[in-house]
Amino acid sequence: MANDVRPLSLKREGDGLKIEWSDGAATFVTWRHLRVQCPCAGCIDDRAKPTDPFKVLTPQEAAAGAPAPVAMKTVGHYAYQITWNDGHDTGIFTLDALRNLSQPVPPRLSPTEVP
Amino acid sequence: MNPQMPQKLSLPGVKHVIAVASGKGGVGKSTVAANLALALHSAGKKVGLMDADIYGPSVPIMFGLGQVDPQTTPFPLHKYGITLMSMGFMVDPNQAVIWRGPKVAQAVQAFLGQIDWGTLDYLVIDLPPGTGDAQLTLSQSAPLTGAVIVTTPQDVSLIDARKGVRMFQEVRVPVLGVIENMSYFVGDDSKRYEIFRAGGGRKLAAEIGVPLLGEVPIDPRIAECGDAGEPFVRKYPDAPVSKAFLELARSTIAATSGAPAAPLPDVQL
Repeated sequence: MANDVRPLSLKREGDGLKIEWSDGAATFVTWRHLRVQCPCAGCIDDRAKPTDPFKVLTPQEAAAGAPAPVAMKTVGHYAYQITWNDGHDTGIFTLDALRNLSQPVPPRLSPTEVP
Repeated sequence: MNPQMPQKLSLPGVKHVIAVASGKGGVGKSTVAANLALALHSAGKKVGLMDADIYGPSVPIMFGLGQVDPQTTPFPLHKYGITLMSMGFMVDPNQAVIWRGPKVAQAVQAFLGQIDWGTLDYLVIDLPPGTGDAQLTLSQSAPLTGAVIVTTPQDVSLIDARKGVRMFQEVRVPVLGVIENMSYFVGDDSKRYEIFRAGGGRKLAAEIGVPLLGEVPIDPRIAECGDAGEPFVRKYPDAPVSKAFLELARSTIAATSGAPAAPLPDVQL
């Protein structure tokens, strides 16, 4: 992604995040995918290890249910930091990461454009 | 909340925040920052200079100031028309600041957020060398207009300057341009000697597609002025070095004349 491409709007839509970009693209990513791909050092380290079948969840993790953000703040001019409902908040998602993790949304045709 | 994540700061009275950075130490960042601040002031701008080099602050000596009693002295300090803040005002110059990264980030944030900078056209930030805590904290929390990269002409400096540029690109802080310090020396015979090779700054600027903001020649009086506490631009305003700094100030004013980058939009959750 070119360095001058930036998000124009970010909105919760269903179980994920829809982003409209300055190059005209629109993308969507589920919260679950973002949570699984958290770029913080701890999560990267965890992903590199074999799954621990005996992992004990914290009470907050157990109560959280499906991943959902409770806050999403800007970081400088380059990223967003998500605070999740399981209490995790160390992941800083750069604009490049948000674009790469999300899928393009086909543009909606206006009624006059419907063939 | 992650305790290491810096809070976002706003500096409502400050029009432009300029970071003076380099990858490598010893290229003259503090000299450039101090003289750029004075040169901007000479151009009629209201200027502040924040020394973000927590481990090795240079601003106190360069402005003829030393340690003060923080209990009785209101910060920031003022000298030669420049508003100043530095760790060196609070710590004995013979005492080492032995801090881990998060404390450095905290100090940088306090300098920015808790000091009353008043109304300024430019706040120049003298960064420590490298791409560490101070740089990252500023990129994440301060409303930086842009960064100027200081390098010397030789490759060993350019390699690290490139890393500094990459860091600012990564965090989307505009690089306003490159300043080549210690570019050349004009001898008594009026010949130009390129002691540390030539053209490195120009090469770096071309490589990253930004302007070369200036080439500052070597003048032994720069070191004398630094140690004597009077920046060169003030003491020798007509010297070629001062002209280079005044030109640099003009380039910086021109580079910051456009609209600053808009902040990222908030997320509608």
